[in-house]
Amino acid sequence: MNLSPINICLLGVTGLVAAGFYGLLTTRNLIKVVIMLQILVKAAVLGLIAAGNASGQQYLTQSMAITVIVADTIVAVIGMAFAIQIRRQVGTLDTNELSSLRG
Amino acid sequence: MATLLVLLTIGLPWIGALFVLLTGDEHPKLQHAIASIFSVAAGISAIVLLWFTSDQSVLSIPMGSVFGVFTFLPDALGVLLAVIANTVGSLAVIFSIDYMRGNEQLGRYYALVMFFIGAMAGLGISGSLLLMFLFWEITAFCSYALISFHNDDPKAVAAGIKALIITQLGGIGLLVGALIINSYVGSYQISAFLAEVEVVPFNVLTLLAFCFLAAAIAKSAQVPLHTWLPDAMEAPTPVSALIHAATMVNAGVYLVARFFPVFEVVPGWTTSVLVVGMLSALLGALMALVAADLKRALAYSTISQLGYMFFAVGVGAVFASQFHLLSHAIFKALLFLCAGAVIPAVGSRDMRQMGGLRKTMPFVYTVFVIGSLALIGLPVANGFFSKELILEEGFMHAPMWAYIGMLMGVGLTALYVSRMVFMVFYGERKGKKPIHDGLFWMRVSLVALSFGVFTTWLLAGVLNDLMAQTLPFHDVHAIGTFKLVKEIALAPATWISLAVIALGIGIWILRKSLAGIKDSLRPVARLFENGLGFEHLNQGIINVTKNLSAVLHLTQTGQLNWNILGIVGMLSVLLALLFIGV
Repeated sequence: MNLSPINICLLGVTGLVAAGFYGLLTTRNLIKVVIMLQILVKAAVLGLIAAGNASGQQYLTQSMAITVIVADTIVAVIGMAFAIQIRRQVGTLDTNELSSLRG
Repeated sequence: MATLLVLLTIGLPWIGALFVLLTGDEHPKLQHAIASIFSVAAGISAIVLLWFTSDQSVLSIPMGSVFGVFTFLPDALGVLLAVIANTVGSLAVIFSIDYMRGNEQLGRYYALVMFFIGAMAGLGISGSLLLMFLFWEITAFCSYALISFHNDDPKAVAAGIKALIITQLGGIGLLVGALIINSYVGSYQISAFLAEVEVVPFNVLTLLAFCFLAAAIAKSAQVPLHTWLPDAMEAPTPVSALIHAATMVNAGVYLVARFFPVFEVVPGWTTSVLVVGMLSALLGALMALVAADLKRALAYSTISQLGYMFFAVGVGAVFASQFHLLSHAIFKALLFLCAGAVIPAVGSRDMRQMGGLRKTMPFVYTVFVIGSLALIGLPVANGFFSKELILEEGFMHAPMWAYIGMLMGVGLTALYVSRMVFMVFYGERKGKKPIHDGLFWMRVSLVALSFGVFTTWLLAGVLNDLMAQTLPFHDVHAIGTFKLVKEIALAPATWISLAVIALGIGIWILRKSLAGIKDSLRPVARLFENGLGFEHLNQGIINVTKNLSAVLHLTQTGQLNWNILGIVGMLSVLLALLFIGV
């Protein structure tokens, strides 16, 4: 496999997605969950840029990437706020103990 | 002009509903007035629309590539439905002035009723299948919300949900049908489908035919999906008269009549319609015969009469079915509104608690008997002409066993109506004296409907003419009223059925001497009182669903890691599928 820029980018995307999902699958700490979500979204942003470069529509995908970054910041902030509130109200950040959605 | 009238017919009730809501429940008098004025105006505009029927769409609203064009096409079939909805609707609203007086949530009541009226008119006039589906679902929603109007009564809430679920089954049939038609014909227009039916492969057409039949059976409460209608009697009585007797339940008949020209070639379809109609007519009549609750008896009678309309479509008599639809809407609304006057006056729905009301409620007695004449099908009343027309067509085109089944239905109708009139109005008064004999506004709408019972059959020729002119795909020939009436009166089928009616009434008069037979039929009667076990069928389906969800809830662990595993697993399956596809 030749290491052209697009392939390097796609490898990076795959690695980030794998890392993000691995983290989400194994972690039980709510703060770490938020961090892993961030890693997943960064993979998506990288993927957007790579796709724009490949299809020649850099401006479109770059502006979309900025939108994603803005939205994602909000997600991170609210996620952190939730984590703090849950720690205060329930007294734990362990997701296995926060299983009130059990059927 | 036609465009404006279509907009008024659908829009006036909706605007009225909005105004009633905005008025607020602190001004009940104003709410009564607004509701009556808007619904009467809508009724007038619907009647005027009769002069502007056409086979071309009068209003098209493009909705983009996904939803197609929403068109309104006021042909005779559709306008008939709109006229019934708006006129009977306005009379039901007028009746409600006295019936609902003192109720605290008038705004919700009137708004839902008028929202329903507009949607029902729209259902008839819409020329696009998707638009029709939209109106179809609005009527289902209003029916649900009005059945559960007394939302502190668990029985009413349960009945509303039951009606919603069963009619939704039909709604799915209609939606699937609409999407399939769009994918083959390339548009949602009903006229396009009727004109270019040959582009649809035959097996798909068969699927469509039965999808639509299922929708019609659920909406019109035909056997085996009829169980929601008797339960729906928890609704306020004007609502039962309007939605569950005169209008919404007709939508199914309208649907099969509308698509009859394309589906009649599907093998087994007309026979299915005919058998469903016959079974409903017979079983409905038998269950009406043993029901003790006045409103439930009337509901079973509605199922039975709708069976006659299905039967008519099944034998290809589209005009006869629509004519009976008109007659039935008038006389059944009249009977229901009479029940609405009797029940609050007596304070019970149980016919065994009534009796002897002839002397204390002479006015209601008179109009109830007028409605009963039409329901039995005795001459002069509109029910006679339309029912005889159906039986005559059945005599000529249906298989003998089906005709005999319908004839038995006629006899049973005479029997159960006699029983109903006798139990309510004759005999000894058992409970306390009734508190009124129909209040003023109740009487207004009862008199208007009784007038309709004696006169609407005169419109037969006009209706026939309009249908012949505006339905290019239906095989309807214009015959004048006079010729039609003469044909009905001279047909041998008429005399046979009059004899059967006499037999039915005779059995009721001689019931004392026939007591031996009656006693031997007691176990059978008990079976019918319990609704023939269709309720067990429903319960079985509910149990299966509950058990299934009890098993499936194990998948809801509530743990984040397991949920992520689900997401990743599905993602890998999709990726694998993509790779295989590539």
